[in-house]
Amino acid sequence: MSGALSGWRRALTSARVLALAAALSGGAGFVLSPAMAKTFRVNVVADPAQMDPITYSEIVAGRILRNMYEGFTVITDDGRNVPALAEKWEPLTTGPGFRFHLRKGVKFHSGRPFTARDVKYTYEALLKPGGKGGLNATYLNIIVGAKELKDGQATELAGVKIVDDYTIELSFTKPDVLFPIYPIYYMDSGIVAELGADWMTKASAGTGPYKFKQWRRGVSVDLDANTSYWGGAPKIDGVSFMIVPNADTALSQYDAGELDFVDVYAAAVRRVLRDERYAKELIRVPRAQSTYLGMNQNLYAPFKDKRVREAISLSIDRNAMIRGLYGGAAFPLNGVVTPGMPGFNPNLPELKFDPERAKKLMAEAGYPGGKGLPPVDISSTEAFKDEITYYANQFNRVLGMPVNVKTVERATFIRAMNAGEVAFFPWGWTADYTDAAYYLSQMWYGPSPYNRPRWKNAEYDKLIDEALTVADDDKRYALYHKAEKVLLDDWGMAPVPMTASVALRKPNVKNVTLTPFGFSLFSKIEID
Amino acid sequence: MLRFIVGRVVGLAPVLCAAIVATFIATRLLPGDPVAVMLSDHSADVQMAARLRAEYGLDKPLPEQFVRYIGDILTGDFGLSFRYVHMPVWQVLKDSLLISPLLALAALALALPVGALAGVQAAAHRNRFQDTAIIVVLVAGLSLPNFAIATFLVYLISVKLNLLPVAGWGTFRQAILPVVILAIPSAAYIARLTRTFMLEVMQQDFVRTARAKGLTNRLVIYRHAFRNTLVPLITSAGIIFGGLLSNTVVVETIFNIPGLGRLAIDSIFARDYPVAMAVVMLFVVFFALINLIVDTLYALVDPRVRDGAPA
Repeated sequence: MSGALSGWRRALTSARVLALAAALSGGAGFVLSPAMAKTFRVNVVADPAQMDPITYSEIVAGRILRNMYEGFTVITDDGRNVPALAEKWEPLTTGPGFRFHLRKGVKFHSGRPFTARDVKYTYEALLKPGGKGGLNATYLNIIVGAKELKDGQATELAGVKIVDDYTIELSFTKPDVLFPIYPIYYMDSGIVAELGADWMTKASAGTGPYKFKQWRRGVSVDLDANTSYWGGAPKIDGVSFMIVPNADTALSQYDAGELDFVDVYAAAVRRVLRDERYAKELIRVPRAQSTYLGMNQNLYAPFKDKRVREAISLSIDRNAMIRGLYGGAAFPLNGVVTPGMPGFNPNLPELKFDPERAKKLMAEAGYPGGKGLPPVDISSTEAFKDEITYYANQFNRVLGMPVNVKTVERATFIRAMNAGEVAFFPWGWTADYTDAAYYLSQMWYGPSPYNRPRWKNAEYDKLIDEALTVADDDKRYALYHKAEKVLLDDWGMAPVPMTASVALRKPNVKNVTLTPFGFSLFSKIEID
Repeated sequence: MLRFIVGRVVGLAPVLCAAIVATFIATRLLPGDPVAVMLSDHSADVQMAARLRAEYGLDKPLPEQFVRYIGDILTGDFGLSFRYVHMPVWQVLKDSLLISPLLALAALALALPVGALAGVQAAAHRNRFQDTAIIVVLVAGLSLPNFAIATFLVYLISVKLNLLPVAGWGTFRQAILPVVILAIPSAAYIARLTRTFMLEVMQQDFVRTARAKGLTNRLVIYRHAFRNTLVPLITSAGIIFGGLLSNTVVVETIFNIPGLGRLAIDSIFARDYPVAMAVVMLFVVFFALINLIVDTLYALVDPRVRDGAPA
C-alpha cells in the first residue's frame, strides 16, 4: 500500500512539474510576441486566389485588394458611388465615351505619382493576350480597340487617348453610363520594371490606404498603413486578414480576443444570434444578393401559365422561412433590387402568403389540387438543401404539386443554370458594383446567360436598354422601377428572402462595419 | 546493409508509379469541372473559360494531360495550381511541406515517454487502483475523437482561461495545443502496448531471477523488464508515426495550421487537381520513407531480416 501511495505522490509531483513547465513556456511565449501594435484583425474564409488587380476574380481577393487599390470611384458605407481616383468626368462630344479628370497629388505605394499613363497601362494589362486579365476585364470590352488588343492584332488600346498627365479620354463602341463605377483598380505602371513579373508577392502597386506587407499562405495576409495616403493616413498601424476556414474556430478566436471583428459564416450564424453575450457586438445587414426562385418555362410546361407562377409565389410563407429556416438571419425581398442598392424601390408591395388564392389559381389553370401536374425536380447545391426541402414540402402541401428534391455539385449546377438547363431552383446573384443595373441587366435581361430561368420579355429588355443610356441617376432609377414592375407583374420569378450577413465587432473598435457589399472601408478604423 | 537499403529504395519506384496513376485517375473522376470552379458564378463567360482551359492544358485529351503531368513531376514543379492563379504547385506546397511531419514528430516525442511511463506504471501495479485508473484514462484517450478533445480543450484553455491561442501557426505557443491533442491517442496506444509487453516480460524467468536476487522493485522493472519492451516499442513507433501523420489532417483543420493535411482538403474542395495530386504524392513518399526506416531498424536489430535467412 505504501508503494502505491508513493507512486501517486510521484505522479502528482511530475504533474506539478509539467504544469510549471507549461506556465513557463506560456510566459516565455508571451514575452516573445510582438509589441502591441494597433493592428485590425479580421477573418477571411480562405487564402486569396490572386494578389494583384489584374488577375483578381474572387471575393476574398476582392476584400483584401479593396484596401490597397482604388478605382475611379469608391462605394461609401451607405452604398453611394463617390469620386476616388477620378475627380470628375464628362461624356465625349465626338461619340460614346468619357473624358476623365484624374485626382492630382495621388501617389502609388512605390512613391511614383498616379497619372493617365497608369490608367492606360492597367487597361492594356487587363486585355492583352497572355496578360491573364480576370473577370473585370469584361467591363473593358466596350472600349474601342479592345477586341483587336485581345486578339493580338494590336499592341495598344486604340480607344484610349492620354490628353495630359491628369486627363484621359475613353471612346466606347456603344454608350455605357455606368463605366465610372465599374470595379477596375488602377496599378502602378512602373512596378514590373522595378520588381519583376512576380512583384505581387513582394509589394502592392496601388494607391489605397494600406500596402502589402506579407502573405503567409494559410495563416494571414498582412497590410501596413500607407502613411502618405491621399485621403489621410489610417489611424492604425495595419490590417491582418486571418485565414480561417472554420466558422467555430473564427468565433473562438474572436471570443479569445484574437480577432477584433469576425465575419460570422453561415454555419455559426444561428448560434451567434441566439447568444445574449453577443447582442451588443452584433451587426446584421441584408446581403447585396438578389434572391429568387427560378421557373424555367421551356423545361416545365405548367410554368408557361402565369397563374401557376403566381400560385407558386403565393404558397411561400416568407415570414415563416425567415423565423424558422434562417433563425432570424434573413430579410424579406419583394422585388429584384436589394435594399441599400442605388435604384432600390422601397414602395414595392409586400409579397403575401395566401394558400387559398394559390389553390384557386391552380384550379383556374386546370390543375385543381395539383391534379394533372407532371413531377418536377427542385434543385440546388448542397448548401441550399434545407431551402429546397422546405419549398418541395410547401408546394406539395399547398398546391398538391409533385416536387422532388435534388442536390448537385456547385460548379456543375452553375454551368447547367447558365445553359438554361434547370427547371426549378432557388438562387441568388451577388452584386459586383453598386447600381441596380447589375441585377436588372444580367439576371432578367433577355440576351444575358445569367438569365438562368430564361424568362423573356421584349418590353423589359427595351426599358433596360434605354436605362443604360441615361446618365441622370433619378431618371435611370425610374426606368429600373418600371422594368422591375414588368417582371413582377408577369410573375417571371418569385422573390425569396435574402440571407443576412452577420458580423461581431469588439466594443473598442470604431468606424468599421458590415455593409450589404461586404466589409466597410478600413481607412478610418480606430482601435482604443 | 547498404544493399538492403538500396533494394528497398528501388522497390519504392513501382509504389510511386501506382500512386501517380491512381491520383491522376481519382482527381479526373471527381464531379465538377475545375474551370467552372475557377469562374464560379461567372462560368457563362465562354471566352474566359476557353482561355483558362487552354492555359491549364485542360482542353487536351486525357492521355496527353497525363503525359504533361508526368513531365511536370519530372521537372519538379508539379505544374500550375488551379486555385492560386498562375502559381506553380511547388510554390504553394513549399511552406507547408515540413509542417505536418514536424507536428507528427513533436507529438511522437511527447507521446513516447508519457505513454511508456504510464504503461510501465500500469503493469507494475497490475490490477490495483493505479492500473485501473490508467486504463480508464487510456480508454478515454483512445476512444474520444480528436476533434471532441480539441473543442473541449480550446474552450477551456484558450477561450475561458486565455492561456494559449485558439488557432494559428507561427509561434511556439500556437503549437502547444495541437501537439498535445495529436499526441493523446498515440500516448494512450503506446501505454497500452507497453503495458501488454511489460506484463509478458514480467512473467519471464529472468525477472523472477532478478527478484530472487533481492533487487528492488524499481530496478527489476526499469533495468530488466522495461528494457526488454523497448525493441517492440521502437519498431511500432514507425506505425504510430504514420498514424500521427494522417491525424495531422484533422488537427490542422481544427487549429487552422497551414500544413499539408489542410492543403489536401482545401485543394480537393477547390478542385485544384495539381495541388491535391502533389500532396497525395508527398504523403506516399512520407509513408514509404517511414516504412524504409522501420525496416532498416528491424534489419539493424535482427540480422535474420537483412540476410534473408528464415526467421
